[in-house]
Amino acid sequence: MVEEVRDDLKYTESHEWLKVEGNKAKVGITDHAQSELTDIVFVELPAVGKEIKKGDELCVVESVKSVSEIYSPVSGKILEVNKKLEDAPEIINQNPYDDGWLIEMEIEDKTEIDKLLDPESYRKSI
Amino acid sequence: MVQRSPLHEIHKGLGAKFTEFAGFEMPIQYSSIKDEHLTVRKKVGLFDVSHMSNVWITGIDAEKLISLATVEDASRIGNGKSQYTEILREDGTIIDDTIFMHLDDKYMMIPNAGMASTATDWLNEKAEEYNLCAKAENFSKDYVILAIQGPKSRDTLQKLTDFDIGTVKFFGCQYIDIADTDCIISHTGYTGELGFELQITPSKTAKDVFDKILEAGKEFGIKPIGLGARDTLRLEKCFILAGNEFESGRTPLEALLGWTVNWDHDFIGKKAILKQKEKGDFQRLTYLECIEKGIPRHGCKVKKDGKDVGIVSSGTLSPCLNKGIAMAYVHPDFREKDSTLDILIRNNPVKAKIVKPPFVKKDWAEEN
Repeated sequence: MVEEVRDDLKYTESHEWLKVEGNKAKVGITDHAQSELTDIVFVELPAVGKEIKKGDELCVVESVKSVSEIYSPVSGKILEVNKKLEDAPEIINQNPYDDGWLIEMEIEDKTEIDKLLDPESYRKSI
Repeated sequence: MVQRSPLHEIHKGLGAKFTEFAGFEMPIQYSSIKDEHLTVRKKVGLFDVSHMSNVWITGIDAEKLISLATVEDASRIGNGKSQYTEILREDGTIIDDTIFMHLDDKYMMIPNAGMASTATDWLNEKAEEYNLCAKAENFSKDYVILAIQGPKSRDTLQKLTDFDIGTVKFFGCQYIDIADTDCIISHTGYTGELGFELQITPSKTAKDVFDKILEAGKEFGIKPIGLGARDTLRLEKCFILAGNEFESGRTPLEALLGWTVNWDHDFIGKKAILKQKEKGDFQRLTYLECIEKGIPRHGCKVKKDGKDVGIVSSGTLSPCLNKGIAMAYVHPDFREKDSTLDILIRNNPVKAKIVKPPFVKKDWAEEN
Protein backbone atom coordinates (compact mmCIF):
# COMPACT_ATOMS: atom_id res chain seq x y z
CA MET A 1 0.00 0.00 0.00
CA VAL A 2 1.40 3.37 -0.99
CA GLU A 3 1.40 5.91 1.81
CA GLU A 4 0.31 9.35 0.76
CA VAL A 5 2.61 12.33 1.19
CA ARG A 6 0.90 15.54 0.17
CA ASP A 7 2.73 18.21 -1.77
CA ASP A 8 1.12 21.18 -0.01
CA LEU A 9 2.31 20.26 3.50
CA LYS A 10 5.44 20.50 5.64
CA TYR A 11 6.63 17.53 7.67
CA THR A 12 8.66 16.50 10.70
CA GLU A 13 10.89 13.50 11.17
CA SER A 14 8.50 12.37 13.89
CA HIS A 15 5.69 12.13 11.28
CA GLU A 16 3.62 15.22 11.97
CA TRP A 17 2.37 17.42 9.15
CA LEU A 18 1.81 21.17 9.14
CA LYS A 19 -0.52 23.01 6.80
CA VAL A 20 0.21 26.74 6.80
CA GLU A 21 -2.54 29.26 6.08
CA GLY A 22 -1.26 32.79 6.71
CA ASN A 23 -0.31 33.09 10.38
CA LYS A 24 -2.19 29.95 11.26
CA ALA A 25 -1.43 26.30 10.71
CA LYS A 26 -3.20 22.99 11.11
CA VAL A 27 -1.27 20.03 12.52
CA GLY A 28 -1.91 16.31 12.11
CA ILE A 29 -0.08 13.03 11.74
CA THR A 30 0.94 11.60 8.40
CA ASP A 31 -0.56 8.72 6.49
CA HIS A 32 2.60 6.76 7.27
CA ALA A 33 2.17 7.40 11.01
CA GLN A 34 -1.48 6.35 11.10
CA SER A 35 -0.67 3.24 9.10
CA GLU A 36 2.11 2.30 11.53
CA LEU A 37 -0.12 2.92 14.54
CA THR A 38 -3.25 1.24 13.07
CA ASP A 39 -6.53 1.35 14.99
CA ILE A 40 -6.28 4.72 16.69
CA VAL A 41 -8.67 4.43 19.62
CA PHE A 42 -8.04 7.49 21.75
CA VAL A 43 -6.80 11.06 21.31
CA GLU A 44 -5.97 13.41 24.15
CA LEU A 45 -6.12 16.96 22.85
CA PRO A 46 -4.56 20.05 24.43
CA ALA A 47 -6.49 22.97 25.90
CA VAL A 48 -7.38 25.80 23.55
CA GLY A 49 -5.25 28.86 24.34
CA LYS A 50 -2.27 26.81 25.50
CA GLU A 51 1.12 28.18 24.42
CA ILE A 52 3.45 25.55 23.11
CA LYS A 53 7.06 25.41 21.97
CA LYS A 54 8.36 23.64 18.89
CA GLY A 55 9.10 20.02 19.81
CA ASP A 56 6.88 20.03 22.91
CA GLU A 57 4.25 17.37 23.39
CA LEU A 58 1.14 18.55 21.60
CA CYS A 59 -1.18 15.66 22.23
CA VAL A 60 -1.30 11.92 22.76
CA VAL A 61 -2.60 9.40 20.27
CA GLU A 62 -3.27 5.87 21.47
CA SER A 63 -3.74 2.68 19.52
CA VAL A 64 -4.89 -0.50 21.21
CA LYS A 65 -1.35 -1.38 22.20
CA SER A 66 0.62 1.84 22.18
CA VAL A 67 0.72 5.38 23.44
CA SER A 68 2.35 7.89 21.07
CA GLU A 69 3.22 11.47 21.82
CA ILE A 70 2.67 13.94 19.02
CA TYR A 71 5.10 16.87 18.98
CA SER A 72 4.44 20.38 17.86
CA PRO A 73 6.24 21.13 14.57
CA VAL A 74 6.45 24.85 15.44
CA SER A 75 5.92 27.18 18.41
CA GLY A 76 2.64 29.01 18.94
CA LYS A 77 -0.76 29.13 20.60
CA ILE A 78 -3.53 26.53 20.25
CA LEU A 79 -6.53 28.15 18.57
CA GLU A 80 -8.76 25.16 17.99
CA VAL A 81 -8.79 21.42 18.54
CA ASN A 82 -10.58 18.82 16.43
CA LYS A 83 -13.35 17.87 18.87
CA LYS A 84 -14.70 15.23 16.49
CA LEU A 85 -11.73 13.04 17.34
CA GLU A 86 -12.88 12.65 20.92
CA ASP A 87 -15.75 10.44 19.83
CA ALA A 88 -14.33 9.18 16.57
CA PRO A 89 -10.53 8.90 16.77
CA GLU A 90 -10.62 6.46 13.84
CA ILE A 91 -11.07 9.48 11.55
CA ILE A 92 -7.27 9.83 11.76
CA ASN A 93 -6.89 6.38 10.21
CA GLN A 94 -9.47 7.10 7.55
CA ASN A 95 -8.41 10.58 6.60
CA PRO A 96 -5.18 11.75 8.26
CA TYR A 97 -4.72 14.89 6.15
CA ASP A 98 -8.25 16.36 6.05
CA ASP A 99 -10.88 15.39 8.63
CA GLY A 100 -8.20 13.84 10.84
CA TRP A 101 -6.39 17.10 11.70
CA LEU A 102 -5.53 17.44 15.39
CA ILE A 103 -5.20 21.12 16.22
CA GLU A 104 -5.03 24.57 14.68
CA MET A 105 -2.43 26.95 16.01
CA GLU A 106 -1.22 30.52 15.65
CA ILE A 107 2.37 30.44 14.47
CA GLU A 108 4.74 32.40 16.67
CA ASP A 109 7.81 32.42 14.46
CA LYS A 110 7.37 31.74 10.75
CA THR A 111 11.08 31.08 10.23
CA GLU A 112 10.58 27.77 12.08
CA ILE A 113 8.57 26.54 9.11
CA ASP A 114 11.63 26.63 6.87
CA LYS A 115 13.37 24.11 9.08
CA LEU A 116 10.66 21.50 8.52
CA LEU A 117 10.93 18.77 5.88
CA ASP A 118 9.53 19.38 2.43
CA PRO A 119 7.38 16.60 0.90
CA GLU A 120 10.30 15.20 -1.08
CA SER A 121 12.60 14.91 1.94
CA TYR A 122 9.83 13.38 4.02
CA ARG A 123 9.05 10.83 1.30
CA LYS A 124 12.68 9.76 1.35
CA SER A 125 12.69 9.46 5.13
CA ILE A 126 9.87 6.91 5.36
CA MET B 1 20.18 -13.15 20.54
CA VAL B 2 16.62 -12.66 19.43
CA GLN B 3 14.92 -15.92 18.49
CA ARG B 4 12.42 -16.35 15.71
CA SER B 5 9.64 -18.83 15.14
CA PRO B 6 10.29 -21.49 12.47
CA LEU B 7 7.24 -19.95 10.79
CA HIS B 8 8.80 -16.47 10.57
CA GLU B 9 8.89 -16.36 6.76
CA ILE B 10 5.23 -17.38 6.55
CA HIS B 11 4.29 -14.52 8.86
CA LYS B 12 6.30 -12.10 6.76
CA GLY B 13 4.50 -13.32 3.66
CA LEU B 14 1.19 -12.67 5.41
CA GLY B 15 2.18 -9.04 6.03
CA ALA B 16 2.87 -9.32 9.76
CA LYS B 17 4.37 -6.52 11.80
CA PHE B 18 6.75 -7.90 14.39
CA THR B 19 7.57 -7.14 17.98
CA GLU B 20 10.14 -8.42 20.42
CA PHE B 21 8.61 -10.30 23.32
CA ALA B 22 10.66 -12.13 25.96
CA GLY B 23 13.57 -12.62 23.54
CA PHE B 24 11.44 -13.65 20.59
CA GLU B 25 10.60 -11.70 17.47
CA MET B 26 6.95 -12.58 16.92
CA PRO B 27 4.06 -11.14 14.88
CA ILE B 28 2.24 -8.42 16.82
CA GLN B 29 -0.41 -7.98 14.15
CA TYR B 30 -1.22 -8.81 10.54
CA SER B 31 -4.27 -6.68 9.69
CA SER B 32 -5.16 -4.74 12.84
CA ILE B 33 -5.45 -5.69 16.49
CA LYS B 34 -9.13 -4.75 16.63
CA ASP B 35 -9.97 -6.70 13.51
CA GLU B 36 -8.01 -9.75 14.65
CA HIS B 37 -9.54 -9.55 18.10
CA LEU B 38 -13.12 -9.55 16.78
CA THR B 39 -12.27 -12.34 14.33
CA VAL B 40 -11.38 -14.59 17.26
CA ARG B 41 -14.49 -13.62 19.25
CA LYS B 42 -16.84 -14.16 16.31
CA LYS B 43 -15.16 -16.62 13.93
CA VAL B 44 -11.75 -18.26 14.28
CA GLY B 45 -8.11 -17.20 14.44
CA LEU B 46 -4.78 -18.96 14.12
CA PHE B 47 -1.88 -18.00 16.39
CA ASP B 48 1.74 -19.05 16.26
CA VAL B 49 2.73 -19.16 19.93
CA SER B 50 6.07 -20.90 19.50
CA HIS B 51 7.62 -18.39 21.90
CA MET B 52 6.03 -20.46 24.66
CA SER B 53 8.23 -23.21 26.08
CA ASN B 54 8.09 -26.99 25.95
CA VAL B 55 9.56 -28.98 28.82
CA TRP B 56 9.21 -32.76 29.05
CA ILE B 57 9.17 -34.20 32.56
CA THR B 58 9.96 -37.91 32.76
CA GLY B 59 10.95 -40.56 35.30
CA ILE B 60 9.04 -42.66 37.82
CA ASP B 61 8.74 -39.66 40.14
CA ALA B 62 7.58 -37.19 37.47
CA GLU B 63 4.17 -36.89 39.10
CA LYS B 64 5.73 -36.29 42.51
CA LEU B 65 8.04 -33.63 41.12
CA ILE B 66 5.13 -31.72 39.58
CA SER B 67 3.14 -32.00 42.80
CA LEU B 68 6.09 -30.64 44.74
CA ALA B 69 6.96 -27.82 42.35
CA THR B 70 3.44 -26.59 41.52
CA VAL B 71 0.32 -25.75 43.52
CA GLU B 72 -1.45 -28.73 41.91
CA ASP B 73 -1.55 -32.30 43.17
CA ALA B 74 -0.58 -34.04 39.91
CA SER B 75 -1.97 -37.39 41.09
CA ARG B 76 -5.38 -35.82 40.51
CA ILE B 77 -4.64 -35.21 36.83
CA GLY B 78 -5.22 -38.43 34.94
CA ASN B 79 -3.73 -39.49 31.64
CA GLY B 80 -5.04 -37.36 28.79
CA LYS B 81 -5.77 -34.39 31.00
CA SER B 82 -4.02 -31.06 31.33
CA GLN B 83 -3.99 -28.55 34.17
CA TYR B 84 -3.28 -24.88 34.65
CA THR B 85 -1.06 -24.22 37.65
CA GLU B 86 1.79 -22.11 39.07
CA ILE B 87 5.37 -22.81 40.11
CA LEU B 88 6.24 -20.96 43.34
CA ARG B 89 9.37 -19.94 45.16
CA GLU B 90 9.71 -20.89 48.84
CA ASP B 91 8.38 -17.42 49.73
CA GLY B 92 5.15 -18.14 47.85
CA THR B 93 5.77 -15.78 44.93
CA ILE B 94 5.11 -17.01 41.41
CA ILE B 95 8.08 -18.06 39.25
CA ASP B 96 5.81 -18.93 36.36
CA ASP B 97 2.29 -19.97 35.52
CA THR B 98 2.00 -22.93 33.23
CA ILE B 99 -0.08 -25.76 31.86
CA PHE B 100 1.10 -29.33 32.17
CA MET B 101 -0.27 -32.20 30.12
CA HIS B 102 -0.35 -35.79 31.29
CA LEU B 103 0.56 -37.91 28.27
CA ASP B 104 0.95 -41.60 29.20
CA ASP B 105 4.02 -41.96 31.40
CA LYS B 106 5.30 -38.41 30.72
CA TYR B 107 4.27 -34.85 31.32
CA MET B 108 4.74 -31.91 29.03
CA MET B 109 4.90 -28.55 30.71
CA ILE B 110 4.35 -25.30 28.79
CA PRO B 111 6.16 -22.51 30.68
CA ASN B 112 5.97 -18.94 29.40
CA ALA B 113 8.16 -17.38 26.74
CA GLY B 114 11.73 -17.04 27.94
CA MET B 115 11.05 -19.21 30.99
CA ALA B 116 12.19 -22.56 29.55
CA SER B 117 15.61 -22.73 31.22
CA THR B 118 14.42 -21.16 34.48
CA ALA B 119 11.64 -23.71 34.82
CA THR B 120 13.79 -26.65 33.68
CA ASP B 121 16.65 -25.78 36.04
CA TRP B 122 14.28 -25.21 38.95
CA LEU B 123 12.56 -28.57 38.41
CA ASN B 124 15.87 -30.43 38.16
CA GLU B 125 17.27 -28.72 41.26
CA LYS B 126 14.17 -29.66 43.23
CA ALA B 127 14.29 -33.26 41.93
CA GLU B 128 17.83 -33.52 43.26
CA GLU B 129 17.10 -31.74 46.52
CA TYR B 130 14.13 -33.99 47.30
CA ASN B 131 15.73 -37.17 45.92
CA LEU B 132 13.18 -37.70 43.20
CA CYS B 133 13.81 -39.87 40.19
CA ALA B 134 12.55 -37.37 37.63
CA LYS B 135 14.10 -35.21 34.96
CA ALA B 136 13.00 -32.03 33.19
CA GLU B 137 14.29 -31.40 29.67
CA ASN B 138 13.88 -28.28 27.61
CA PHE B 139 12.69 -29.13 24.08
CA SER B 140 11.34 -25.68 23.26
CA LYS B 141 13.43 -25.30 20.11
CA ASP B 142 12.01 -28.51 18.66
CA TYR B 143 8.38 -27.47 18.85
CA VAL B 144 6.04 -25.14 17.06
CA ILE B 145 2.93 -24.29 19.07
CA LEU B 146 -0.22 -23.25 17.24
CA ALA B 147 -3.39 -22.00 18.87
CA ILE B 148 -6.69 -22.21 16.99
CA GLN B 149 -9.22 -20.13 18.85
CA GLY B 150 -12.77 -18.97 18.28
CA PRO B 151 -16.28 -20.40 17.89
CA LYS B 152 -15.31 -22.00 14.56
CA SER B 153 -12.04 -23.52 15.77
CA ARG B 154 -13.43 -27.02 16.16
CA ASP B 155 -15.09 -26.97 12.74
CA THR B 156 -11.84 -25.79 11.19
CA LEU B 157 -9.68 -28.51 12.72
CA GLN B 158 -12.28 -31.21 12.09
CA LYS B 159 -11.79 -30.73 8.36
CA LEU B 160 -8.17 -31.83 8.75
CA THR B 161 -8.59 -35.09 10.64
CA ASP B 162 -10.71 -38.27 10.76
CA PHE B 163 -10.56 -38.20 14.52
CA ASP B 164 -13.68 -36.75 16.19
CA ILE B 165 -12.37 -33.52 17.74
CA GLY B 166 -15.64 -33.23 19.65
CA THR B 167 -14.37 -36.03 21.92
CA VAL B 168 -11.44 -33.91 23.15
CA LYS B 169 -12.84 -32.53 26.38
CA PHE B 170 -12.08 -29.11 27.90
CA PHE B 171 -8.50 -29.35 29.19
CA GLY B 172 -8.17 -32.77 27.58
CA CYS B 173 -4.99 -33.60 25.65
CA GLN B 174 -3.79 -36.39 23.40
CA TYR B 175 -1.72 -37.39 20.41
CA ILE B 176 -3.52 -36.87 17.14
CA ASP B 177 -2.92 -36.76 13.41
CA ILE B 178 -3.92 -33.39 11.97
CA ALA B 179 -3.23 -32.37 8.39
CA ASP B 180 -1.19 -35.60 8.01
CA THR B 181 1.10 -34.56 10.83
CA ASP B 182 1.58 -35.96 14.34
CA CYS B 183 0.62 -33.39 16.95
CA ILE B 184 -0.38 -33.15 20.55
CA ILE B 185 -3.76 -31.47 20.77
CA SER B 186 -5.20 -29.89 23.89
CA HIS B 187 -8.55 -28.22 24.37
CA THR B 188 -6.98 -25.13 25.93
CA GLY B 189 -6.31 -21.50 25.09
CA TYR B 190 -5.78 -17.95 26.26
CA THR B 191 -8.73 -16.21 24.65
CA GLY B 192 -11.76 -17.42 26.61
CA GLU B 193 -13.26 -18.82 23.40
CA LEU B 194 -13.67 -22.38 22.22
CA GLY B 195 -10.14 -23.30 21.27
CA PHE B 196 -7.34 -25.77 20.84
CA GLU B 197 -3.58 -25.77 20.98
CA LEU B 198 -1.26 -27.97 18.95
CA GLN B 199 2.30 -28.97 19.83
CA ILE B 200 4.12 -29.92 16.66
CA THR B 201 7.53 -31.50 16.24
CA PRO B 202 9.78 -31.54 14.28
CA SER B 203 9.03 -27.88 13.80
CA LYS B 204 9.58 -27.99 10.02
CA THR B 205 6.40 -30.03 9.63
CA ALA B 206 4.43 -27.19 11.21
CA LYS B 207 4.59 -24.92 8.15
CA ASP B 208 2.37 -27.28 6.26
CA VAL B 209 -0.04 -27.55 9.20
CA PHE B 210 -0.21 -23.75 9.52
CA ASP B 211 -1.03 -23.34 5.83
CA LYS B 212 -3.60 -26.14 5.86
CA ILE B 213 -5.40 -24.69 8.89
CA LEU B 214 -5.62 -21.28 7.19
CA GLU B 215 -7.00 -22.99 4.08
CA ALA B 216 -9.49 -25.11 6.04
CA GLY B 217 -10.70 -22.11 8.00
CA LYS B 218 -11.28 -19.93 4.95
CA GLU B 219 -14.98 -20.74 4.76
CA PHE B 220 -15.33 -19.60 8.39
CA GLY B 221 -13.39 -16.35 7.92
CA ILE B 222 -10.16 -17.47 9.64
CA LYS B 223 -7.30 -14.97 10.04
CA PRO B 224 -3.78 -15.19 11.43
CA ILE B 225 -3.65 -13.42 14.80
CA GLY B 226 -0.70 -11.61 16.39
CA LEU B 227 0.40 -11.05 19.96
CA GLY B 228 -1.44 -7.70 20.09
CA ALA B 229 -4.86 -9.32 19.90
CA ARG B 230 -3.66 -12.21 22.06
CA ASP B 231 -3.08 -9.66 24.81
CA THR B 232 -6.42 -7.85 24.45
CA LEU B 233 -8.31 -11.17 24.19
CA ARG B 234 -6.81 -12.50 27.41
CA LEU B 235 -7.27 -9.21 29.23
CA GLU B 236 -11.00 -9.07 28.43
CA LYS B 237 -11.23 -12.50 30.05
CA CYS B 238 -9.05 -11.51 33.04
CA PHE B 239 -6.33 -14.08 32.37
CA ILE B 240 -3.02 -13.09 33.89
CA LEU B 241 0.15 -12.42 31.89
CA ALA B 242 3.66 -13.26 33.07
CA GLY B 243 5.67 -10.06 33.33
CA ASN B 244 2.55 -7.99 34.02
CA GLU B 245 0.61 -9.73 36.77
CA PHE B 246 3.52 -11.38 38.55
CA GLU B 247 6.60 -9.43 37.56
CA SER B 248 7.61 -8.33 41.03
CA GLY B 249 6.93 -11.25 43.28
CA ARG B 250 3.17 -11.74 43.51
CA THR B 251 1.63 -14.81 45.12
CA PRO B 252 -1.29 -16.87 43.72
CA LEU B 253 -3.52 -15.33 46.40
CA GLU B 254 -2.66 -11.81 45.29
CA ALA B 255 -3.26 -12.80 41.66
CA LEU B 256 -6.64 -14.31 42.64
CA LEU B 257 -5.42 -17.77 41.69
CA GLY B 258 -6.40 -19.29 45.03
CA TRP B 259 -8.81 -21.55 43.13
CA THR B 260 -5.86 -23.27 41.44
CA VAL B 261 -4.18 -24.12 44.74
CA ASN B 262 -4.69 -27.66 45.94
CA TRP B 263 -4.19 -27.25 49.68
CA ASP B 264 -4.38 -30.97 50.42
CA HIS B 265 -0.82 -31.67 49.36
CA ASP B 266 2.61 -30.32 50.22
CA PHE B 267 4.29 -28.04 47.72
CA ILE B 268 7.02 -25.47 47.61
CA GLY B 269 5.71 -22.11 48.81
CA LYS B 270 2.71 -23.57 50.67
CA LYS B 271 3.81 -22.40 54.11
CA ALA B 272 4.32 -18.85 52.91
CA ILE B 273 0.97 -18.52 51.19
CA LEU B 274 -0.86 -20.17 54.10
CA LYS B 275 0.60 -17.52 56.31
CA GLN B 276 -0.43 -14.82 53.88
CA LYS B 277 -3.94 -16.26 53.72
CA GLU B 278 -4.26 -16.07 57.51
CA LYS B 279 -3.06 -12.48 57.64
CA GLY B 280 -5.27 -11.41 54.76
CA ASP B 281 -3.93 -7.86 54.49
CA PHE B 282 -2.50 -8.05 50.99
CA GLN B 283 -3.29 -6.33 47.69
CA ARG B 284 -5.42 -8.40 45.35
CA LEU B 285 -6.03 -8.31 41.65
CA THR B 286 -9.08 -6.18 40.94
CA TYR B 287 -10.97 -5.68 37.69
CA LEU B 288 -11.66 -2.10 36.67
CA GLU B 289 -13.86 -0.81 33.87
CA CYS B 290 -13.46 2.87 33.02
CA ILE B 291 -16.60 4.96 33.20
CA GLU B 292 -14.73 7.99 31.87
CA LYS B 293 -12.65 8.21 28.71
CA GLY B 294 -9.12 6.94 28.93
CA ILE B 295 -7.01 3.87 28.45
CA PRO B 296 -5.27 2.50 31.55
CA ARG B 297 -1.80 1.05 31.02
CA HIS B 298 0.63 -1.09 32.99
CA GLY B 299 2.05 0.96 35.87
CA CYS B 300 -0.77 3.52 36.22
CA LYS B 301 -1.51 4.37 39.84
CA VAL B 302 -4.91 3.62 41.34
CA LYS B 303 -6.30 6.16 43.80
CA LYS B 304 -9.27 6.61 46.11
CA ASP B 305 -9.97 10.16 47.28
CA GLY B 306 -6.45 11.15 46.27
CA LYS B 307 -4.81 8.35 48.23
CA ASP B 308 -2.70 5.61 46.56
CA VAL B 309 -4.56 2.31 46.87
CA GLY B 310 -3.11 0.24 44.05
CA ILE B 311 -1.37 -0.13 40.72
CA VAL B 312 -2.49 -1.26 37.25
CA SER B 313 -0.76 -4.45 36.12
CA SER B 314 -2.46 -4.63 32.69
CA GLY B 315 -4.68 -2.22 30.85
CA THR B 316 -6.03 -1.67 27.38
CA LEU B 317 -8.99 -0.48 25.40
CA SER B 318 -11.38 -3.41 25.20
CA PRO B 319 -12.14 -3.93 21.51
CA CYS B 320 -15.44 -5.64 22.39
CA LEU B 321 -16.68 -3.08 24.93
CA ASN B 322 -14.91 -0.05 23.48
CA LYS B 323 -14.00 1.02 27.03
CA GLY B 324 -10.79 1.21 28.98
CA ILE B 325 -10.31 -1.90 31.13
CA ALA B 326 -7.63 -2.77 33.65
CA MET B 327 -6.43 -5.37 36.07
CA ALA B 328 -4.91 -3.72 39.09
CA TYR B 329 -3.48 -4.78 42.41
CA VAL B 330 -5.61 -2.96 44.98
CA HIS B 331 -5.51 -2.72 48.77
CA PRO B 332 -8.14 -5.07 50.32
CA ASP B 333 -10.15 -2.22 51.87
CA PHE B 334 -10.95 -0.63 48.51
CA ARG B 335 -12.11 -3.60 46.41
CA GLU B 336 -15.85 -3.61 46.90
CA LYS B 337 -17.79 -4.45 43.73
CA ASP B 338 -19.46 -1.47 42.01
CA SER B 339 -17.44 1.06 44.00
CA THR B 340 -15.33 3.47 41.96
CA LEU B 341 -11.63 4.19 41.97
CA ASP B 342 -9.51 6.68 40.03
CA ILE B 343 -6.88 5.45 37.61
CA LEU B 344 -4.18 8.04 37.11
CA ILE B 345 -3.49 8.33 33.38
CA ARG B 346 -0.85 10.97 32.52
CA ASN B 347 -1.69 12.66 35.81
CA ASN B 348 -5.41 12.81 35.08
CA PRO B 349 -7.71 10.77 37.31
CA VAL B 350 -10.01 8.62 35.19
CA LYS B 351 -12.99 7.09 37.03
CA ALA B 352 -13.33 3.33 36.89
CA LYS B 353 -15.81 0.90 38.41
CA ILE B 354 -14.87 -2.36 40.07
CA VAL B 355 -16.54 -5.18 38.14
CA LYS B 356 -16.85 -8.93 38.33
CA PRO B 357 -14.61 -10.88 35.95
CA PRO B 358 -14.55 -11.41 33.05
CA PHE B 359 -15.00 -8.03 31.39
CA VAL B 360 -16.46 -9.70 28.32
CA LYS B 361 -19.03 -12.39 29.12
CA LYS B 362 -19.36 -15.73 27.41
CA ASP B 363 -22.31 -14.85 25.18
CA TRP B 364 -20.89 -11.55 23.94
CA ALA B 365 -20.46 -12.69 20.31
CA GLU B 366 -24.08 -13.89 20.06
CA GLU B 367 -25.42 -10.61 21.35
CA ASN B 368 -23.24 -8.37 19.19
